[in-house]
Amino acid sequence: MSVRSGTRPEPAWRARLRALLRDTTLAGRPLEWYLSGWRLALILLVVMVIFPWLVGSTFVADAIAVGIYITLAVGLNIVVGYAGLLDLGYVAFFAIGSYAEATGTFGALQLNSVTGEVIHTPVLPFWPLLVIGALVAGIFGIVLGAPTLRLRGDYLAIVTLGFGEIVPILFNYFPFWFGNTGMSALPPADINLGGLTITFSDPLNRIPFYYVVLAVVALVILGSFSLRDSSLGRAWVAIREDETAAASSGVNLVRTKLLAFGLGATMGGLGGVLNGAYIGAISPNDFPFFVSITVLMMIVLGGIGSIWGVTLGAIILRFIDVDLLGRISQFVQANPVVNNPVSPLHFLSTVDFNQAKYLIYGIMLLLMILFRPQGIIPDVRRRRELKGIGAAVESTSAIGVLEREEAGAELAAVDTLDQTTYAGPGSDDIGRSGD
Amino acid sequence: MHTMALAAAGPAGFLNFLQAIKIGITAGAIYALVALGYTLVYGIIELINFAHGDVFMWGTQVTFVLITALGITSTIGGWQLVGVLALLVVAASVFCGVLNVTIERLAYRPLRRAPRLAPLIAAIAVSFILENIAELWRGPGQIAFPNLFPSTALININQTFVVEYRDVFIVVLALVIMFALSRFILGTKLGRAMRATAQDPEAAQLMGVNINTTIALTFLLGGALAGAGAVVFTVSTAGYVWFFTGFQFGLYAFTAAVLGGIGNVNGAVLGGFMIGIVEGLSIAYLPQGSILSTAVVFGVLVLVLVFRPTGFLGAQVPDKA
Repeated sequence: MSVRSGTRPEPAWRARLRALLRDTTLAGRPLEWYLSGWRLALILLVVMVIFPWLVGSTFVADAIAVGIYITLAVGLNIVVGYAGLLDLGYVAFFAIGSYAEATGTFGALQLNSVTGEVIHTPVLPFWPLLVIGALVAGIFGIVLGAPTLRLRGDYLAIVTLGFGEIVPILFNYFPFWFGNTGMSALPPADINLGGLTITFSDPLNRIPFYYVVLAVVALVILGSFSLRDSSLGRAWVAIREDETAAASSGVNLVRTKLLAFGLGATMGGLGGVLNGAYIGAISPNDFPFFVSITVLMMIVLGGIGSIWGVTLGAIILRFIDVDLLGRISQFVQANPVVNNPVSPLHFLSTVDFNQAKYLIYGIMLLLMILFRPQGIIPDVRRRRELKGIGAAVESTSAIGVLEREEAGAELAAVDTLDQTTYAGPGSDDIGRSGD
Repeated sequence: MHTMALAAAGPAGFLNFLQAIKIGITAGAIYALVALGYTLVYGIIELINFAHGDVFMWGTQVTFVLITALGITSTIGGWQLVGVLALLVVAASVFCGVLNVTIERLAYRPLRRAPRLAPLIAAIAVSFILENIAELWRGPGQIAFPNLFPSTALININQTFVVEYRDVFIVVLALVIMFALSRFILGTKLGRAMRATAQDPEAAQLMGVNINTTIALTFLLGGALAGAGAVVFTVSTAGYVWFFTGFQFGLYAFTAAVLGGIGNVNGAVLGGFMIGIVEGLSIAYLPQGSILSTAVVFGVLVLVLVFRPTGFLGAQVPDKA
């Protein structure tokens, strides 16, 4: 790779799109005004509220599956994206949330020693468990985070990976949770509003549960935005950029990191509670390392640190998983060229593309980290960090000055830096508009 | 705790204990071979080569393919066995070494100056790719595999403490390879280039060391060791090949490298044997040991990283972020 001089020209389609958004007006305002900040969020929310009435029931179920993973991705984004702590064991909190829901709604099973009958007594309904499961996961986040605080970078990644492996093993080990067979997890009980009964347990009508998931996702995204813009959010960014400098500027490292772990874990727990209620039965095998990596991939794909980015990443990967691959398999198998036994493509008729899921994920992750590490919708600050040089040119803040010095030191290494996606000042406004 | 159990159990208990230790040592020898790959790479570019376990897994796949191609379906003995083993070790080492170098060239080298987490994420991606190609090719199940070694025991006390030929083979081969590696690193010019690069890449470059070649050589060596370990693992202990072998095995070996002090070659060997013994004892003595042993090994990993991140023999500063 060689250094490209000057700013790469903006692609024509992008310039055209931007002009369109600027010049088209609606009720006296340009379209881009509507597509920024909270107004965009409001539009998305309205769309998602009427979503079940726009599409069929398959997509409602897909949307629930997607929504659960958005919760996870936004939560992990706090840990990885904001605070810069690579957590490879995030599945632990997902598992804790799921098991909290199952333990509460289904209760501990007991064997009646006289009749030999298995009985279970639900301890708590779903709604309080939504809070309790999240809190329990959050507490475990702090407990597991505490001993790892002295570690940085990849050591932290491996320790969290170890926790992520240990937690499902323990759920498997203790007979209280029925080991490998797992246990049932119940959906929320019906709600009776006068004459109207809202049923969550009907597998043919997932719309009520969809709204539960939507509410949680909206809450989590909203919370994530306000955390990012709070003083805590700034402290996270500070320790991510330079721990020593942050500490000497008065940031309490222990407290700040623990809060990142705890809040991230809380959201993981929320996702877990929803997952338990949605799936209906859980076992330790539902929480392999792959889950942690899938969530991490959503973040890298969408844009590390960018809330809309990781949301989009979760939507894309989860949709590929629950819907697209099955459709591709069906489409390919129904294709006349493939169906013809003498065709050289006939072998495709036995291929199940669902099995290639993780291969596809792996290739996507590798290509993203090599060629577009800032993700689909980049976080502004992250992009500066990942693209050292471009950062310095753009920033005018105090941090920008520091970055510029770092960038100077890196100039010698320019030939190995990937410059292909470097865009000059202000050319990425489309990606930024939602942030 | 164990000594108390032993005192209560008498001579039979002691034999059980010895057997658990023996299993631990043989498993540990293989962990040590794989751990060396982690430690060499970490020592030189400070990357946890997450895909290393899967390179090892591909070594087991190559072994399986060769054994099938040779038409071997059951135990063989004598010089025939020696010849087959030599062929397998060479072939798997070359394959894994070249695979590891290719990975470095394609996935890690472009990210050498990127933020620290980027190459680690790339390594995770490569691990996924290697695993899932194997799964698509071989299917999700374990494929059973003939044991090549005659089951004649060299030592057999009450059917409790048994040492077989394969146990000797594993340990001897591992020790020979480790000795050769240590001679290479300490006694040759290329080895000196590796140590120099590990210490300070820029200074080494100024002294005329070709950094790219040296790093590629390190990946070649690490991959070759994993390949040798894969042969040993496949023909003597595993009894199957499986696409997912590399994940857990790789983590165990990584734990071994950390336990001994990552970046330290002797440490990796020590850590390998320690992890093997910890695993062997957990399986033998804990209730449902085969489930819990994984948690115990990861528990050791967490404890070591938290309380002594430099490991037993490491002297590096652990938390370079």
